[in-house]
Amino acid sequence: MSASVTPDRDDLVDRETVLRFLLSAAFWLVFAPTIGVILAIKFNYYDFLGNIDWLTWGRLRPVHVMGVVFGAFSTAIIGLTYYMVPRLCGVRMYKENWSRAILWMWNIGLTVGLVSLPLGHNLGIEAGEFPFWVNVAIEIVLIMIAIQVVMTIVRRQEPRIYVTLWYLTAAYVWTVFNYAFGHFILPYSMPGVNNAAMHGLYIHYVVGLWITPAGLAVIYYFLPLAAKRPLYSHKLSLVGFWSLAFFYPFVGTHHYIYSPIPYWTQTIAIVASMMLIIPVWTVLQNFYGTFVGNWNRFQESYTAKFLIIGALFYLIGCFQGSTEALRAMQRLTHFTDFVIAHSHLTVFGTFILWVTAGMYFVIPRLSGHELYSKTLAQWHYWLTVAGFSLMALVLTLQGLLQGTMLDVGADFVESMVVMKPYWFIRTIAGVTMDVGALLGMWNFYLTVMRGRRIAAPDASSLGGAAEPQWT
Amino acid sequence: MADEERIDSSDISHYDSSGIDERHGVIPGWLVVVYVALAIWMVYYLVQFWTDKG
Repeated sequence: MSASVTPDRDDLVDRETVLRFLLSAAFWLVFAPTIGVILAIKFNYYDFLGNIDWLTWGRLRPVHVMGVVFGAFSTAIIGLTYYMVPRLCGVRMYKENWSRAILWMWNIGLTVGLVSLPLGHNLGIEAGEFPFWVNVAIEIVLIMIAIQVVMTIVRRQEPRIYVTLWYLTAAYVWTVFNYAFGHFILPYSMPGVNNAAMHGLYIHYVVGLWITPAGLAVIYYFLPLAAKRPLYSHKLSLVGFWSLAFFYPFVGTHHYIYSPIPYWTQTIAIVASMMLIIPVWTVLQNFYGTFVGNWNRFQESYTAKFLIIGALFYLIGCFQGSTEALRAMQRLTHFTDFVIAHSHLTVFGTFILWVTAGMYFVIPRLSGHELYSKTLAQWHYWLTVAGFSLMALVLTLQGLLQGTMLDVGADFVESMVVMKPYWFIRTIAGVTMDVGALLGMWNFYLTVMRGRRIAAPDASSLGGAAEPQWT
Repeated sequence: MADEERIDSSDISHYDSSGIDERHGVIPGWLVVVYVALAIWMVYYLVQFWTDKG
């Protein structure tokens, strides 16, 4: 590793705004999975919570999905953006005073949106369900952050643009357009099968052009810092970024295999889905190459722990997603919990865990406090790993089982009955994860509010970047 | 010799304000094989399944 020593540059960061974003993300990281647990319980006890309209399964499911995607993941990403971008550019964030307005607009928008959904105000586009005026607020926020990111990069002091900045810029710019597409065009135009096809594109752009690049931005930033080693390969970063940008836009139609949508568009979606193996394995080779020789960081750092386990779930979840698009697999798994296994492995198992890794790095550092409790952090980690591994396994198994039953002509209701014990295990797994998340997020809150103050890190000893030992 | 010591310092870019180091690095051979195999499969699948042959 380079021997060069740089001063610690957290002075470039608006600490208060970043911490507020990350603590609000901590709230959403508990709230949205808790709704998921309620939904999981309803699989076992359909009359759980009675017949109150706004607590029915159909009303709460979008709260869970929108809450995880835009509440938990995106709020953390915005907070980490305000940490990573100034650090990578060597200048403070462009229009830094916007960030505090954005904090409130974002969280109020989310709150109104997530309260509106159970009350029945839903646009009816999966993953694009908030009411119109909430979408206006969120769109404005996304445009403002995109301007901040791009202009900060334009004004940077650092000569080179690190891979994290490519991914962040792409994620915000793509999502400014995709969010407008999904919320202002799709619900009001394009009737019939065209709407379904375009919805396939929209929902996968949320995953592939927002969650994925933003999540990869996080891992590329914290990976070399957590591993205390140089990033393995700039060349691999280039291949990973451009292959994602090239193939992902064609993936969305794989939700509609065997549908009336033209056969050749389905074929293109299948091919693009399989070709996503290229960016995934490329990123993971970069991950492995960076960590190899320093795996003991797994013992020492919660950032490293969450990055490593997230990478493992990334490998499994993305391989599952690629092969799931193949016609033979689609025939077996469509309308089963195999699909739910895939979405949880990628969104929670990978990207939520990676932003959690970033929070373990940033929160003690910016608050100037030691992590409040290593015991709570250990419980957070192991309950998450145990609960989520069980959930991913059981969802995958029940998907394959149900798919096989339906494929050989079993009655649908009969297949539901067979699923009952699996749903129970899935609920237990969900509760386990949720308790883990609650402990972890409570630990973050206590770290900021009551953590033991540490002496200012010695810049020369930290090299300006090394992860402080208290995380 | 530790792997870290074998890294040629001219192969590394240093980002001052973040403290991140990055190797120019290589693309491992096994990954190139994966790229080529998938590209060949892509062409085959597109040609074979462009239309529904029933």
